[in-house]
Amino acid sequence: MAALAAVLQSRSLGFPWLLRTWAGGARGAARGAAAGLHDYDLLVIGGGSGGLACAKEAAQLGRKVAVVDYVDPSPRGTRWGLGGTCVNVGCIPKKLMHQAALLGGMIQDARNYGWEVAQPILHDWRKMAEAVQNHVKSLNWGHRVQLQDRKVKYFNIKASFVDQHTVRGVTKGGKETLLSAEHIVIATGGRPKYPAHIEGALEYGITSDDIFWLKESPGKTLVVGASYVALECAGFLTGIGLDTTVMMRSIPLRGFDQQMSGLVTEHMVAHGTRFLKGCTASRVERLPSGQLQVTWKDLASGKEDMGTFDTVLWAIGRIPETRSLNLEKAGVNTNPDNQKILVNTQEATSVPHIYAIGDVAEGRPELTPTAIMAGKLLAQRLYGQSADLMDYDNVPTTVFTPLEYGCVGLSEEEAVARHGDDHVEVYHAYYKPLEFTVAERDASQCYIKMVCLREPPQLVLGLHFLGPNAGEVTQGFALGIKCGASYTQVMQTVGIHPTCAEEVAKLRISKRSGLDPTVTGC
Amino acid sequence: MAQPLLLRRFLASISWKPPQGGLAPLCSRPLQTPWHSPSGLAVIPSQVRSVFTTKVSTTTFNIQDGPNFQDRVVDSERPVVVDFHTQWCGPCRILSPRLEKMVAKQQGKVVMAKVDIDDHTDLAMEYEVSAVPTVLAMKNGDVVDKFVGIKDEDQLEAFLRKLTDRRACL
Repeated sequence: MAALAAVLQSRSLGFPWLLRTWAGGARGAARGAAAGLHDYDLLVIGGGSGGLACAKEAAQLGRKVAVVDYVDPSPRGTRWGLGGTCVNVGCIPKKLMHQAALLGGMIQDARNYGWEVAQPILHDWRKMAEAVQNHVKSLNWGHRVQLQDRKVKYFNIKASFVDQHTVRGVTKGGKETLLSAEHIVIATGGRPKYPAHIEGALEYGITSDDIFWLKESPGKTLVVGASYVALECAGFLTGIGLDTTVMMRSIPLRGFDQQMSGLVTEHMVAHGTRFLKGCTASRVERLPSGQLQVTWKDLASGKEDMGTFDTVLWAIGRIPETRSLNLEKAGVNTNPDNQKILVNTQEATSVPHIYAIGDVAEGRPELTPTAIMAGKLLAQRLYGQSADLMDYDNVPTTVFTPLEYGCVGLSEEEAVARHGDDHVEVYHAYYKPLEFTVAERDASQCYIKMVCLREPPQLVLGLHFLGPNAGEVTQGFALGIKCGASYTQVMQTVGIHPTCAEEVAKLRISKRSGLDPTVTGC
Repeated sequence: MAQPLLLRRFLASISWKPPQGGLAPLCSRPLQTPWHSPSGLAVIPSQVRSVFTTKVSTTTFNIQDGPNFQDRVVDSERPVVVDFHTQWCGPCRILSPRLEKMVAKQQGKVVMAKVDIDDHTDLAMEYEVSAVPTVLAMKNGDVVDKFVGIKDEDQLEAFLRKLTDRRACL
């Protein structure tokens, strides 16, 4: 039935009445209040964090919704199922591998706590990868079932615009379908960038699209980039015992607080990750042994150097998935510098009934929770009589490097730029997690800083926490900042003891005072 | 791959296909359970292979695609037990061999089709599978019984008995 419908749809451009009758496939079109003009009330292009959330919300509000999702294989051939970047090649596998690495450290710590642990401790990439990949596959399945349950129609097709209300979809096998909708949401996300002018980069290098799906260990790895993707990957690779090098052209974690970023990389250096700072790769070649030879230049000295690696991982940025959408056919405008789709506060594009959310949209954080929330709010505005807009301010996030960095609100630089040095007060502390003591771990980079306005009651502008479980610690404080917490209120908050998080509530030393910010005992 | 239909069904019923994940050992069955094709001819394997602990039943097969499912399950003369499973599902790995064994004990009265839900997601969706393992009992193209999750041998025996004892009302 569905096949017949598809054939009719693709052939019946001149018979819109046929399109309407067969629309939606075999299950029947009784559901939802599809305007007679289109197949669907809402068509969502992209089955990732934002797209799925928007689609499910709209369906819950009684609409006829379809999601189209398609994954172009990476240059190396990696592909994956429904769920988008987060589920398949982002947050989820990343956090699991980060956990695998942390466990290695904890097994070492365990000895100090009385456990008899045999040396050496070995890590089996295959076993970890299989477990992670299996979990991801269960999530792909879970998403399919959810769409089914919420009565959202799903097509595994590659979409592109034909006109403002019509999208052409092509299956893996080349079969074409046409879908039309009253409203369209573009949530196609992004993909990793490959360097344009480095010989051998495309041929021999991999990206984050591939690392989580490798069946065999990547071995001695060169990670090129200074993004959180680069540092997180380099972090867990080091943690599971692989020889790992990070090559950075300039500063780490651009856009994040730079003092914190420096401490993050300092910790990685102290714990076995090699850093090639101020260097750019110029060439990648394959040696007879099968290994990769990378040539790079030190930008300061101009000197060239070479190194041999099993794997080269490019983590130099991401590009939005807009190239193959034929956006011009719909009249949707993009930022010419980066190809991201231009949107307003309603997430609307230059075409009133076409929206864009998530990584593909200009000026938005490239984060799952913001895409999800934006998607749900959009559906509520379209179909639920709501007027609530997505608030992109004070979005908390965490970088899951070996020592985790959680933050919410402004960086110190941003606060000073906005309010002036005189109007900003920064409270800070170096602390030592209790668990590190017996384990004889180095806590030199465990550090917290709170950026506030100087004027009473001293509104908290930003919080930065570097330490274990940073994500868990930062989440609660994000609520405080959302509620407009002041430093006065922070001082009135009793800490939970013994934790690292309590050190946030106990911040008393300001940078301005010049006093030693090291926390001493209870 | 043009093979005469009868020969294809004949060969398929012997279930040379290895289970998911690679080459599985075929064990030489003791002679008290002769292998039967649907046409009733006894089949003796032409090769002798070493004995392994995992048994591959002649009454079990992996579904290849939609038409294959239509042909071997929906249009099947015999009742079919359909095992929806997948590699990332731990309980599936326990249930499948157990179910295979119990189906084999039915001596050809019922056959078992295995469907990997990752490879055949559309099919799984069509049959409203949400959790795995899901096992359907099908007769004359209709789902007549179903269970989700692990069952022990006694429970499986009862499930299969219900399927084979039921007289078809057509």
